[in-house]
Amino acid sequence: MIDRISDPDGPKIIVCCGSGGVGKTTLSAAIGLYGALSGKKTIVLTIDPARRLADALGLTDFNVDAQRVPIEQISDITRPFDGQLYAMMLDPKRTFDHLISRYAPADLQDIIFKNRYYQHLSNNMAGSHEYMAMEKLYEIYHQDKYDLIVLDTPPSRRALDFLEAPDKLLNLLGNNFFLKMFKPYLHAGRFGMRVFNILAFPVLRAVGKVIGSQVLDDLAGFMQLWNDVLFEGFSRRAETVKNLLSSNMTLFLAIATPQHLPMTEAVFLYEKLRQNNMPFGGFVINRVHVGGGNMAIIDTDRLGMAELFHNESADPKLTEKLSITYKNYQKMSESDARAINALIKKIGPSVDIMQMPIEEGEIAQLNDLVRLSRRF
Amino acid sequence: MAGDNTDVHHHKEYTGSLTEPEDSWAKQLFSRRLIFVMGKGGVGKTTVSIALGKAAVRYKKKVLLLEIGDTDAIGSIFNKKILTEVPLKLSANIWGARVNPKAELTAYTKAYVNSGFIANRITKSRLFDYLAEATPGLKEVMCLGRIWRWERSKSEQLENTFDLIIVDAPATGHALSLLRLPDVLINMIRGGPLVTQIRRLQNLFKDHRKTCILLVTLPEELPANEAIEFYCLAQDELHMQVAATFINCVYPLLFDDGDVLQIKHMKDQHDKNLPNPHHAILETALRQIKRRNIQQIYIDRIRSKTTSHVKEIPFYFTNDLSLSEIEELL
Repeated sequence: MIDRISDPDGPKIIVCCGSGGVGKTTLSAAIGLYGALSGKKTIVLTIDPARRLADALGLTDFNVDAQRVPIEQISDITRPFDGQLYAMMLDPKRTFDHLISRYAPADLQDIIFKNRYYQHLSNNMAGSHEYMAMEKLYEIYHQDKYDLIVLDTPPSRRALDFLEAPDKLLNLLGNNFFLKMFKPYLHAGRFGMRVFNILAFPVLRAVGKVIGSQVLDDLAGFMQLWNDVLFEGFSRRAETVKNLLSSNMTLFLAIATPQHLPMTEAVFLYEKLRQNNMPFGGFVINRVHVGGGNMAIIDTDRLGMAELFHNESADPKLTEKLSITYKNYQKMSESDARAINALIKKIGPSVDIMQMPIEEGEIAQLNDLVRLSRRF
Repeated sequence: MAGDNTDVHHHKEYTGSLTEPEDSWAKQLFSRRLIFVMGKGGVGKTTVSIALGKAAVRYKKKVLLLEIGDTDAIGSIFNKKILTEVPLKLSANIWGARVNPKAELTAYTKAYVNSGFIANRITKSRLFDYLAEATPGLKEVMCLGRIWRWERSKSEQLENTFDLIIVDAPATGHALSLLRLPDVLINMIRGGPLVTQIRRLQNLFKDHRKTCILLVTLPEELPANEAIEFYCLAQDELHMQVAATFINCVYPLLFDDGDVLQIKHMKDQHDKNLPNPHHAILETALRQIKRRNIQQIYIDRIRSKTTSHVKEIPFYFTNDLSLSEIEELL
């Protein structure tokens, strides 16, 4: 599934979705590296990498520009290649600010930055992270500088959030919806912005009484600016990105670990994509305790550890510990296998499922990413 | 056989496994009214919330498990339907509910707008929907307000009341903005009945005798760092108490240095031959030792950077803990 990247006519955008804590960021980096090693100029857009992974990718807190990853320094790679890898950290607040300074008229920028509603929206509002990831994707795609974009989606408990959030946000800030709805309640105020005419309307007066009239004023001010200055551009870009994500240039990957919640979320994502005819690449099940292959299934009870190690000088306490450890591992690998079989049963045998074996060490070096990417 | 001592049976009277300091710590913990269970996505907040609830029941508490994140996990773990805003009995002395901000806002508006006619007009209007969605933090405030009302219901002696409310919080980022909200809103909103309510909330959250945070984390880089960061934030900015940090999924510490040397030696012997059962067993042990060593780095880091009670929760080597296994976690 991921090997489709190496095809010159393969996907140009890989979107890694999955609930929090399944290893999306690390896998995105490994997928990016795979793209680079197959000769493509690749960029990984990432959200919150672990410190050491960020260091390996050359990312720091204060830099939001694309960073070139020095993959030529990777010792394991011998064959010549002309791919390049870039990484970029997504920061919603900065992205939002950047968009405002780019698209809003200079005299209004300050008013926007100081609006408390804007401050909240750019930092905290549900959906703003996802929305910003979309904006960044739009920007990078239209720069046309890269052959492949790998997008690590924002951390969230629900894998679907990335797909739904921008729509939700746009509906909320929908085209002129605000003005239509509020027209009767607005009157001309300071700075040419309309302000709620609270006194005149019992409904708003009551709402104002509950949430405070200051909030309504801030909201009105922001919405006014949004409508006059920003909405058209925002919604046009969001529409473009949506089309892009639905096209065959994109491939969505559902990333999960074998636990119940991440698996359920991954299946939801898959179903949602299928309903909307969006391009689904497959499931990547991360951190699988592999039972078969080079890990032999050994019945330590039947075999008897003492017998197994009979000609060793190992003391019986040690062989007992070894037996416990091996049994634990077997128990875990059986649990993982059950989870994966349940997934296959649910989605049918035709959908790609890739299993990534658990790494006992940390993925903190480029060499570790190379090792991961070899499994693709 | 070797595995026997790993099966711990303590279903009956649950007293044996708690040491005395732990027992008095637990007593103190469960004397509170409100516990926020916080942590990064995927660290096991829901599991720990349920385990805590079960433990609190052993201390004769009637518990409400409150879901405010975006997943419906608690109901299904108890083999019950998805939780709603009406508390549902899950098992003996454990109830579960989910906060529904919209329903709360509707109830709230009706309570504060004197005319029933106007209140109805407000809550049925699109404007209301819009404001509920778009007003920064309003939904979250309603969430918090609901928590507060459940807390109050005990002293007001309403029919269904709880000794302890355990909040299974959303992932750290969202949960943090939730807990920050009272402070933020006090600065934003100048007047109105909401301000009075928010002040009460602030007071409840910052009262260490009544409210605390329990951090859940994993012995891995990102979750550990996030937990430490959050711990500092809670102390310095939120002025809320972190009563404990639970490190989840800790591998057993089985092998000592001598064992490791012996295993390596045995493996070297076998490496000369073809792979065989010995090899797989030794390899598995070495991997787990490696993993456990890395876990120890983060356990030590968490212990050194936080002054709260730290508790390690053993890993169970399964993806699907049963309810009785969850009960035994704490």
